[in-house]
Amino acid sequence: MSEANWRNPIFLWGAKGVVESLPTTPFRSHQEIWRSTRKSKTKLFSVGRLRYYYKWRGHGAITWRRLRYWPTRRRVLRVRGEYNPKNLRREKTIVDKRPIWWAFGFIALALGPLFTPIDLQNTLLTAGATFGIYAAISLCWMLIIGTAGIISLATYAAVGTAAFCTAILSIKFALPWWLLPPIGTVVGLLFGALIALPATRLDGFYYALLTLGLNELCRVYFSTSKIFGSATGGLYGADTYIPQNSSQFGQLLVGYYACSALMLLALLFYRLVDGRRLGRILRMAPEKREAFAEATGVNFRQARLVVFLISSAALGFIGGFYTSNFRGVAFSIFNFDTVLLGVGMLVIGGIGRAEGAVVGTLIVVFLDRVLITLGPIRLIIIGLIMLSVVLYLRDGLFGIKAQFRNWRDKKKSERRSTRAEKGGEMLPEEATETHDKDIVYMRRFDKMQRDYLKTLVSSEVIEEHRRSPQGQHSEALQRLLIYFRTRPQVDKYAIAIVELFKAYRIVALSGQRGVPPRVVEDRIYPTQKEAFHGVFLRRVQDLLES
Amino acid sequence: MDALFIISNAIVLASIYGTLAIGISITWSSLGLVNLAYGFVFAFAGYGAWLVAQHISQWGPVVLGAGIASGSLAGIIICALAFIPIHDKPNFTIRGLIATLAINLLGTQSLLWWFGPRSKSLPEIFGTWKITLPGMVLTADKVGNVATSVLMLFFVLRWMQASRRGLEIRAMMMNPHAASIVGIGVRRTAFYVMAITGGLAGLAAVLLSQTYYIGPYGGLTPMIKGVSIALCGGLGSVRGAVIAAILLGLNEALTSAFFGGQYVLITQFLFIIAILLVRPRGIAGILDRAREA
Repeated sequence: MSEANWRNPIFLWGAKGVVESLPTTPFRSHQEIWRSTRKSKTKLFSVGRLRYYYKWRGHGAITWRRLRYWPTRRRVLRVRGEYNPKNLRREKTIVDKRPIWWAFGFIALALGPLFTPIDLQNTLLTAGATFGIYAAISLCWMLIIGTAGIISLATYAAVGTAAFCTAILSIKFALPWWLLPPIGTVVGLLFGALIALPATRLDGFYYALLTLGLNELCRVYFSTSKIFGSATGGLYGADTYIPQNSSQFGQLLVGYYACSALMLLALLFYRLVDGRRLGRILRMAPEKREAFAEATGVNFRQARLVVFLISSAALGFIGGFYTSNFRGVAFSIFNFDTVLLGVGMLVIGGIGRAEGAVVGTLIVVFLDRVLITLGPIRLIIIGLIMLSVVLYLRDGLFGIKAQFRNWRDKKKSERRSTRAEKGGEMLPEEATETHDKDIVYMRRFDKMQRDYLKTLVSSEVIEEHRRSPQGQHSEALQRLLIYFRTRPQVDKYAIAIVELFKAYRIVALSGQRGVPPRVVEDRIYPTQKEAFHGVFLRRVQDLLES
Repeated sequence: MDALFIISNAIVLASIYGTLAIGISITWSSLGLVNLAYGFVFAFAGYGAWLVAQHISQWGPVVLGAGIASGSLAGIIICALAFIPIHDKPNFTIRGLIATLAINLLGTQSLLWWFGPRSKSLPEIFGTWKITLPGMVLTADKVGNVATSVLMLFFVLRWMQASRRGLEIRAMMMNPHAASIVGIGVRRTAFYVMAITGGLAGLAAVLLSQTYYIGPYGGLTPMIKGVSIALCGGLGSVRGAVIAAILLGLNEALTSAFFGGQYVLITQFLFIIAILLVRPRGIAGILDRAREA
């Protein structure tokens, strides 16, 4: 360090006590600190840091043209219009792309039968029809569990009861197929009203356990009573909407499209209940915040009951449709495994969203009905998927995106907090709270300045100051002194005269008028020069410690 | 004669289902887990006892012990899979419920896959003797069932009252948060609880297999009966479960005597619903002291 020498310019004038040259700290540019501070130390990944939206071109003249569902004011796509801040071009961003995915899904559903291989046609179209029915059931169940928040496991019991009642009516009285769903609706409504009675009094798990028992009750009752065909494993022979005289492929196709239409109806029903008044009311009163909702005048109990009842009626409708689709119904609809698979359908997709119910149903029905040759293994696979979804995902498959973003934000803020050098500058959280943003920049500049000045402190500089606290100084020492002298008054060191020319001591100014300085140390300095140097040493120490 | 026979049957069933119900009740109140994988524990314990009876010994106590041990093992598996990973995560209660349902599906199907759909039967562990009383005949399995389950329950409850571990479990039942603050390990206690309740279920499985067969789906009915009894008695209350078991056993006996066997479940659920409408937390449950999920 000591190669550098500073030549005192006033030596030539023969000033008193001035040496010609003194060792000093070698020159360092203050730009180095600036550059190294400005340099980004963050490891950058090319993918996945920002949300990417494709920017569609807009036209200023058609800014207010919107595609709407007639006759409502609802828009088909949520599109945000904005001006690019850089080139002021009109841009459009599709905020919510879900309608597009739904449209693709519906097109795939409609065109599916055209692309099934001939040898798999029977399996796939039957599975497709089953998928439609089960997706409709899952959607209604999702309304009960997700929207109304009633954990009911008696959904398949409601469907099965309606199916059995309509089947027996159809067989006994030769009712036509189109009467079965309406009758099923009535049966479902009655069933729902019956099991809604305890739901008014019991909370979540008590009700879940009770409905589990009710499901078993239905199974035992229907499978042991003689009129429902306890010997044959089910009740068959009801009227069906599928034309019996057409070809097998035609029958399959009619069944497939009818079940798909049922699913569309269920989706519409879900949208009408969840997306409108009832859904809003219930979203206002989520679990553990019911008291608040009640206090604001929201009658969430009534809304829950209404959702439960109309969902039960819809389940009854599906039950009637089930009978007219399969010409009857088997006891297996009351099986505990059916309930488990149904729960799996809801859980895999994610509770509380329509797309979750449909995709979960698709996965489960595919594994259960298409891969039927696997035997019990396919149910084991479904169980494994269900278990891993419950253990690892907070909100099913469709919650992955939000969960991943949360996790990434958590990691980001963890890394940021490890990166932050705490040298007096503000942390991001503090900076956003500060009203005067100049303080943020001032503190940042101060930090860099101190970093730079720390590199100037050396034994040579201290020795130079000891020799002559006042007068001409080398550049390094001068920079340090200017910095020290420009500090604010609060806690600034000063020299108090104990006895003139004999005793001095270091004090710290209070910075407030009327408040005396405090004594920093007991040490008494015999001369003013030594006291100056004492102050300098304290300031250097404070600088190095900061 | 007939009524006495039905009543004695009902007592036997009540003592077995009561054993299960107490297990469910303790699990819920100490861990906050609604264990719907009891069907699997039940079937697993039955198959464990059957394997031991096939390959090691037919002697009664050994078979019983094997059933209890394999029930405990199944309980520990469930604890490791469904409680340990998620017990401190959001929405634990509903996720735990669904996880146990998934384990039930997995376990039942694995048993079906491994052992096949044919049901197995255990040897008669209590022998074939009889006691003839005026008016009724008590067979060995009836007396044995009641005696064993009452004994086992007595020992478990005594252990819970007298031992250090039992004290920990009871502390968890009262207030899990405070228990963890005073240094009771939640996870360790969970393993004890699940092992013990699994053992109770295993005992019930072996006892019940004296009357019914062992099959992959054989655990379902006992589980639903146990859940109903626990629900009716008040989740978390041992005394309530005992009262509910006796009441439901009586109901079963009376219904089958007066109306016929197929109405048992209907009257049973009407009875439970009636009780729950009057007391939403069950016979011995108190609204304020119920576990806050």
